[in-house]
Amino acid sequence: MFFDTREGLALALPAAIFALLLFIAPVGILLSEAFQSDNGWTLQGYIDFFAKPLNRTVFLRTLKLGILVAGTAAVIGYAAAFCIVNLSASARGRVFGLVVLPLMISPVARTYAWIVILGRTGIVNDTIVGLGLSDTPIRLLFTETAVFLGLLQLFMPLMIISLVSAMENIPRDVIPAARVLGANWFQVFFKVILPLTKEGLVVGGTLVFTGALTAYITPAILGGSKVLMLETLLYQRVNVANDFVSASVIAMILIVMSFSANLLLKRIATARK
Amino acid sequence: MKTTISLAVLSCALATNAFAQDKTLTISVYSFAQDAYKEALYDPFEEICGCDLVVETGNSVERMAKIEANANDPIIDMAVISSHDALSLARKDLVAALDVSKLSNHAKLYPAAQDPIGGNRAVGYTFYASSIVYRTDLVEINSWADLLNEKLAGNVSLPNITGTQGPLTLMMLAKAAGNDSTDYSSVISSIGEHADDIVTFYSRSSELAQLMNQEEVIAAPVGRFAWSRFKSSPLPFAWAEPAEGQAGGMNVMIMTKGNGNEELAYQFMDYWLSTEVQTRVAEALIDSPANTEVIVSDDVADNLTYGAELINSLSILDPAEIINNRETWVEQWNTEVIK
Amino acid sequence: MRNLTTSTILGLTLTFLIGPFIIIIFAGASAGETLAFPPDGLSLKWYLKVFTIESFRESFLLSLFLAIFGTVTALLLGVPAAYALNRYDLPGAETIRTVVAAPIIVPGIIVGLALLRYLVVPLDFTVTMALFMAHTALVLPYAVRVVSSSLNNLRADMEEAAVLLGCTRMQAFTKVVLPNIRGGVLAAFILGFVTSFNQVPVSLFLSGPGVKTLPIDMLAYMEITYDPSVAALSALLAFMSLSIVFVAERLLGFSRYV
Repeated sequence: MFFDTREGLALALPAAIFALLLFIAPVGILLSEAFQSDNGWTLQGYIDFFAKPLNRTVFLRTLKLGILVAGTAAVIGYAAAFCIVNLSASARGRVFGLVVLPLMISPVARTYAWIVILGRTGIVNDTIVGLGLSDTPIRLLFTETAVFLGLLQLFMPLMIISLVSAMENIPRDVIPAARVLGANWFQVFFKVILPLTKEGLVVGGTLVFTGALTAYITPAILGGSKVLMLETLLYQRVNVANDFVSASVIAMILIVMSFSANLLLKRIATARK
Repeated sequence: MKTTISLAVLSCALATNAFAQDKTLTISVYSFAQDAYKEALYDPFEEICGCDLVVETGNSVERMAKIEANANDPIIDMAVISSHDALSLARKDLVAALDVSKLSNHAKLYPAAQDPIGGNRAVGYTFYASSIVYRTDLVEINSWADLLNEKLAGNVSLPNITGTQGPLTLMMLAKAAGNDSTDYSSVISSIGEHADDIVTFYSRSSELAQLMNQEEVIAAPVGRFAWSRFKSSPLPFAWAEPAEGQAGGMNVMIMTKGNGNEELAYQFMDYWLSTEVQTRVAEALIDSPANTEVIVSDDVADNLTYGAELINSLSILDPAEIINNRETWVEQWNTEVIK
Repeated sequence: MRNLTTSTILGLTLTFLIGPFIIIIFAGASAGETLAFPPDGLSLKWYLKVFTIESFRESFLLSLFLAIFGTVTALLLGVPAAYALNRYDLPGAETIRTVVAAPIIVPGIIVGLALLRYLVVPLDFTVTMALFMAHTALVLPYAVRVVSSSLNNLRADMEEAAVLLGCTRMQAFTKVVLPNIRGGVLAAFILGFVTSFNQVPVSLFLSGPGVKTLPIDMLAYMEITYDPSVAALSALLAFMSLSIVFVAERLLGFSRYV
């Protein structure tokens, strides 16, 4: 046989063993820490964690912001991707480059900018007061809105990229055909575009949701101690209280949340068929 | 095979630290003003001892976690931390009892700095006052209780409970309410009632300085060590002298237990406590002196926590009280303030 | 009308995505002492100050080292794995694929904590070594995925032909396969480099005496002061990443592979 199995394993296993020993094993031990007690296996760590109102609030807030960020990114992403796909080839390349650009910039820098933008004397408040929408500057920093905006800016490119590549696969004449046959834009979107791009939506949605759950800098700098998210709570539990059981619980919650988001999105995508 | 070789080569490259000079002292310090420390303390000391200083910086929680993680084979030889952090390390048996006879400058220190946590397990090297910085054009601060006053609603920041300044603020708010015990539950509850009026519970004085400079916050409690940042601002900031007085704290030096580098560590600590270095550090406006023999000009003194009269007037929170009660405070804080 | 809608949507989206970057560039060019936009007059002093801060130089070199060697190691592990998963009918191929892709799913902060607690502390790994492992593991999924997709486009019968014509298997790989997936490998390298270089959560817990990655060092600097030098440094780094990507795009059409 040309492609010998043993030879193949010899090529693939170093990578797998590396990931297993130096990555999966330590993470696995960390995750198991919350299940261990002096007298065998236990769920006590989880029960204690969810017994605290602050932890429940943080968990729900993380879930809420994750969904909001992914949802908003999808809405804007569809609009932007649709525009990008319909541009001329050269303009498309340039705009696509600008969309990818933020991904190349350190998240420290991107978050840092929002401190200035969202401040009491920042651009957003100047605009709000200038337009007469409010007499006094409104407080934006250290609110969920600030964290939401920071996360959206951080992860929206991933959604747009996924949706653009999905839309490029839609045959060119499908949409005009649907229009000619009398479909309005609303119908075109739900009957034509959405079914044909749902794989891109699943990929983009998972990436953005997972990214929002596991971002550290944005909630740390823009949310502070008043808008804790699971990731900042984990850091605080470890660093302030040396509390590795809570860290292990939060780690498991984050992983389960990312996995379920991916499964759920896939399920929804296949159910629509 | 290729992978193994490149890994092997890499591990050689990674081990270069081991080829440094024979005598090395590893110290763990707060990350601020490192350039100034280098000039006033590190470089001259390296010259004197003919050794290498490895300086580990970071915030105290991270640095403490690392000292604890490496308890059996300490990487850090000596560290400077707050007095209550020192006590918490001492209770975990990570701190060596000091032979103060090896510190020739020990007797020159203010009495409060000579044995701050008991058992000679630490010596204080700097004091700081803690009070309220505020905008003189917008508010007037006469009491710690003003922090929760209606006038400041939406424009005030308090230090987070998990930091060093947090408990000090609780203490002074309690004093303002006529409570001298360390039962702060009613103070925390009243902060909880005002939580929406408080912009954020800051954790770094740098963050606070940025927020006050961009007019996000107009009054907040802060340590004197951060004062120069406000003093140099174009905005009119002042240092309050509230009716209840100023709170105070102390940072201390400790030596890790069993580090095997004791002689060098003593030499370094003694040097840092000497009148010469304490004066240099004070004049660079980094740390206020704990050495009573240090004399500085009025201009310099204005930036520091300086002089027996001031230092003796500070309300200092007993490190043991902080450690014994912190879990309770944080628990209540998390339920009532952060919600 | 449609053109107007298109430009409005794209204009607003791009402003939202790129705006903060522009602000950082200008905030770093402030003549004042604090971070502000619009800046208090213009000057290059903060851009120059960045180069005089010693810890930034050290952490920059560490980050560069991790990004280059971590990514190269990930490729040395990942290219053979991608090749094997693509060409051979392996038992447990799905498991291998999952194991190798795992680092992308696990939140970085957990990875850092786990490595600190179970490799650095008990097994005496240096922090640098742990960082190197973590960054390699982190880049591995990208290496496998990007290289796999370019292998997909390469027909297996080319190698068979090469072997029939007298090449050894190794020669067939180096002379036929490798030149054809060059672009994919380079794309994987750049993607890995940028990912590793900007990585924060993994490195949060992994720092030691004199050992800090650049993004962590920037956060540490912000604990001391929020002066505009972090903005200036951020802008400089962004330009560095951009020029790497730009050169790669010009040479290879990098975006085809991402």
